[in-house]
Amino acid sequence: MPVRLEIRLNPELIDAEGMSISRKASAYFGLNVADTRVIRVLTIDADLKDDQLERIRTEIFTNPVTEESSFLPLADNFDWIIWVGLRPGVRDPAGSTAVEAIEDLLGLKFNQDESVYTSKIYQIRGELGKKDAETIAKEILANDIIQQWRVYKRPARSGLAMAGEDEWDDKDGIGMNVSRVALNKKPQVGTFPIKSDDELKRLSTERSLALHESDIPVIREYFLKKEVLLKRKALGLDLPTDVELEYISQARSDHCNHNTFRGLFRYHDIATNYKETVDNPFKTCIEDPTLKIKEKKDWVISVLWDNAGVGRFDEKNYYVITGETHNSPSNMEAYGGAITGIVGIYRDPLGTGKGSKLILGTYGFCVGPRDYDGELKPHLHPRRLLDGIIEGVKDGGNKSGIPTSFGQVLFDPSYMGKCLVFVTALGLMPATVDGKSAHLKKTNPGDLIIMCGGRVGKDGIHGVTAASESYSETTPAGHVQIGDPYTQKKMHDFLLEARDEGLIEFITDNGGGGLSSSIGESARWSNGCHVNLEKVPLKYEGLDPWEIWVSESQERMTVAVRPDNISRFMELSKRHAVESTVIGQYNDSGYLHLTFNEKTCAYIQMDLLKSSFPQWEFDAEWIPPSFRGLKEPVWGEPEDQGRLLTSILRRPNICAKSWIQRQYDHEVQGGSVIKPLTGKEQDMVSDAAVVRPILDSPRGIAITQVINPFYALIDTYHMTAVTIDEAVRRLIVVGGDPSCIGGVDNFCWPTIIHDPAKNPDGNYKAAQLVRACWALRDYTLAFEIPLLSGKDSMYTDGELKGPFGMSQKISGLPTLQFTATTVVTDIRKCVTMELKVPGDLVYILGKTGDELGASEYYQMMDWIGLNVPKVEAENVIPLYQALYQAIQDGLVASCHAVGRGGLGVHIALSAIGGSLGMDIDLSSVPAEEKISNTRLLYSESAGRFIVTIDPKNKKTFEDIMDGLDYACIGRVTEAHILQVSGIDGKIIIKEKIGDLKDAWKEPFGDLI
Amino acid sequence: MKTVKALVLTGYGLNCDYETDFSLKLAGADSERIHINELISGPKDSGRVSLDNYHILVLGGGFSWADDHGAGVIMAAKLRYNIGEEIEEFIREGKLIIGICNGFQALVNLGLLPGFDGDYHSRKVALTYNDSGNFIDTWVKLNVKEDTECIFTKGISTLELPVRHGEGKFYAKKEIIDRLIKKNQVVMQYADNEGHPAQGKWPFNPNGSLYDIAGICDTTGRIFGVMPHPEAYNHYTNHPEWVIKKEKLARMGKTIEKEEGEGIAIFRNAVNYIRENL
Repeated sequence: MPVRLEIRLNPELIDAEGMSISRKASAYFGLNVADTRVIRVLTIDADLKDDQLERIRTEIFTNPVTEESSFLPLADNFDWIIWVGLRPGVRDPAGSTAVEAIEDLLGLKFNQDESVYTSKIYQIRGELGKKDAETIAKEILANDIIQQWRVYKRPARSGLAMAGEDEWDDKDGIGMNVSRVALNKKPQVGTFPIKSDDELKRLSTERSLALHESDIPVIREYFLKKEVLLKRKALGLDLPTDVELEYISQARSDHCNHNTFRGLFRYHDIATNYKETVDNPFKTCIEDPTLKIKEKKDWVISVLWDNAGVGRFDEKNYYVITGETHNSPSNMEAYGGAITGIVGIYRDPLGTGKGSKLILGTYGFCVGPRDYDGELKPHLHPRRLLDGIIEGVKDGGNKSGIPTSFGQVLFDPSYMGKCLVFVTALGLMPATVDGKSAHLKKTNPGDLIIMCGGRVGKDGIHGVTAASESYSETTPAGHVQIGDPYTQKKMHDFLLEARDEGLIEFITDNGGGGLSSSIGESARWSNGCHVNLEKVPLKYEGLDPWEIWVSESQERMTVAVRPDNISRFMELSKRHAVESTVIGQYNDSGYLHLTFNEKTCAYIQMDLLKSSFPQWEFDAEWIPPSFRGLKEPVWGEPEDQGRLLTSILRRPNICAKSWIQRQYDHEVQGGSVIKPLTGKEQDMVSDAAVVRPILDSPRGIAITQVINPFYALIDTYHMTAVTIDEAVRRLIVVGGDPSCIGGVDNFCWPTIIHDPAKNPDGNYKAAQLVRACWALRDYTLAFEIPLLSGKDSMYTDGELKGPFGMSQKISGLPTLQFTATTVVTDIRKCVTMELKVPGDLVYILGKTGDELGASEYYQMMDWIGLNVPKVEAENVIPLYQALYQAIQDGLVASCHAVGRGGLGVHIALSAIGGSLGMDIDLSSVPAEEKISNTRLLYSESAGRFIVTIDPKNKKTFEDIMDGLDYACIGRVTEAHILQVSGIDGKIIIKEKIGDLKDAWKEPFGDLI
Repeated sequence: MKTVKALVLTGYGLNCDYETDFSLKLAGADSERIHINELISGPKDSGRVSLDNYHILVLGGGFSWADDHGAGVIMAAKLRYNIGEEIEEFIREGKLIIGICNGFQALVNLGLLPGFDGDYHSRKVALTYNDSGNFIDTWVKLNVKEDTECIFTKGISTLELPVRHGEGKFYAKKEIIDRLIKKNQVVMQYADNEGHPAQGKWPFNPNGSLYDIAGICDTTGRIFGVMPHPEAYNHYTNHPEWVIKKEKLARMGKTIEKEEGEGIAIFRNAVNYIRENL
């Protein structure tokens, strides 16, 4: 007879989880929730005596200081009760942990039918109807894929013999929810005749395969080939199976294959009639430049083939980096999408070479305005979406024990179609393991295929193909899942130990496409494999073989281990409490062979995916900005420059967001050098993060990221150039070495496939992509930055309900997140951006031009403009090298890269950060021509820095800068005032630092 | 010199093991990272790792068992029901135990803290949800009480360290808090910028801990639990204002003298104690 143990915090204690639920109910749905309290429930289905149960209750599960508990219902003083439990069959890790603890305490073993199930009761007070309670259950508390819920209301009258149907019965409470599985389905393999291309096309839509039109005939031809038919017949196969079609569609998806970037673009500038055929921008703008740079730079160890790129950190260690997006899932279910994103990216370095230890993570969020109150109805309001994303990355990062050391948030209404969630991971591997290069790996015939970590469920099916489409109401919800950093952390620790013992031949993660991708790709080395799908451990029974094969259930790695190492591998796995299962073997048969209970369900030639699928083709039609009607405004000088500055500081994309950074553990692993927040009061944003990954070495690694999509409104070529340039400068200012910068490009682009009705400007968007690729090529070559890793996420569009109930297509701004990383040879020389000492001289390095196009200032005034900032690489590089030299020589007290918002904003930020004043003379600022005060203050010209130095270093510093664009423009002052005089010598700004800081902190100041 | 052996627990979601191990080594200990299962699996004579061979046991930070059933609850149960006797023997021998963050949470759930009158079983204090309801990473200023028995904090009067937790509010009944104060078991308190007790004020007291308690010891001073992370201040560049400090020193023609971070003193005290007393 099962019993139910209910536990809750003592009423006088703050219930953080309850508090957050009340807050969300009010913020997202306007519900009037007075109070929410959580009751944890353990349903113990085991044959235990009363005294044993009492021991369990008091000795383990109830904290006598903070909690109370009972085997009878605890709920009291509520209007509604919501119960949330796992669906039958869903794995319950907390339940398993409870079993272990009970077994340890009582010195017994549960038998096969005995178990513990965990669930939760939420008791809610507030003026709510049943619909409201259901909304809370559905939208805030339960994830429908894995959980079930029930709602009970407070009995109308107490003392009645029978409670109403949905009324709470305080004797029975939620009843005994023993989530035993009832099997109602046998796994099946489906087959399809696909007699015509149309039929396959229909099938593709029905099954969400997202097959590209031009792939369809190639796939059909393969199955019609005589020799293929014969071979299949010998194994009892005839028509293509669902497993096979799913495999092919996963492997051919744009997400896995970069079909867009490898496409053929017919570029045409309609103004000049210039035409160029751009064949495979991935090759010409990413691969070729990177390989060319690799030739010159011996620190570049491994690029373009593995899960992440590899660069040299020091003689004995390599660093590993990669970046991803997790847009579609986060847009559907913000928390689940984001946690899965960050936990997922952490598997990439773990699956690079023979495995890397994770040392750092970063985030980038692009969402709609947090206070949006317009008529568009996104799936989740930007505020709710952002809350969920922040929380997902928090739990995913913090619980992984990996510092989240850098990140940024960008608001723009265009991201309401689909939000962007960038996640980036850095790892570290020894140069050699067991005497062999750790960055190399291959599978060999005879190696066993092992799946490690979590189990497989229906979660995450079709994630890859959904990411290859725009968001719509019919986007399958099943592709969203909840990451489990705990399971993965155990696996991470285990695999590193196995690596160090030389047990791993090959390792890769199960991310997009699941086993289908990880085994399909790893079997290319050995040239074949045989997988017994029935051996794959499942979260619950009843999955069809195709679901097992493509499920994207998280926290899994695929590992190749030699048969003579398997027993040691399994021993280590057991010690770390990680599940590892041999599910097949690599061979050199030339075929991917899948069986389920010894029956073949897929048999595909390994080289099918290498065969000639037609290249995607695009017309790319460039309309230069002036032909789009863009022009510079005709505005005079503002009279109130002080108010203009504070207004810009208050803008959501400029203002303080330390409430987010503070939720992320950026100290774990003990190597923080430059933290995400800096300054006298540790609330200013750092240009870059620096960590010391090897604790007894003074060497560090610097990382920064830049997203500058607004310049794309004018020209994506310059948007890309400015983005790369800013990333380079952000590394240099903290003390990073400009000679070994590595890059990661993450493109998020709206659909470029032209459709006269659905995407009328597709050709223009395609030209925007071509131009961005050109700039990527030109500037990575100029700055000699190999692209260590990169990803493209197309289809950042969404269809939203708008005014009058009509739908509107919203395309995200063409967005590139550029991540740059470099080595810091001596962290003790690092520099931060805040002013340090009164009396210091303030310098501006780099020239300011009339480049306010798409600036923050124009944007505030609802203007785009024409003069987009441009980067003259050959001019700025000597300046960057000189600055690096000055920092290495210890001449620089503070240093900051001027970015969004221009000099005005960044001078103010340096002062706010240092809690010191400044006396600035604009007439000294190096500028291209006579330009107005406002232009000097808010132009966003690239290539500029604010530097302060000790006056006694003046000559040495100026000697280093000789012949370059620089000028001393003022002094740091003790008075907490920012004073700026204009080109005619008149004081135009005189603001208290405290007031500037208040303005900058005010917008999100009350958030924790 | 005597070899001082330290054991840093790893596994099951613990995550500060590398830097804690490093800090102990800096402090002069011969430290090892040991997976919990290596310590608790099987009887003592089965060849598993035994506490007998160590002088300092460290329960570090992280999310052991995903914090299921409460932070540190399962780690406490695992240790208690598998090697409870061995741990008590360890304590009787006069050896040292430190619990940091999640490890502190485990120590209070084990009942090793506060350890009134040698009672190493009862749960009398707790670390519960921060008043803010959220996880926080921030550096805090700490006043270290000098009149305690705590071995780990000898000679330290103030300290700055980072906290990183969602459940760090020190909580107990009033009579327990009073008793902790009376018995000089309150070792560290959160302080404001002027070095006065924070008196619950956020963000100086980052979690709402009663009496601003950040760390306590048992009555012997040999068991110490602390929410802030001393191992995260292992080098001077960990401190959030080190660049400012460096620049100001430079103006006086000086440099930061000590490479080592101030958190290491906690571990060095432990190592020195073992050297001198065991």
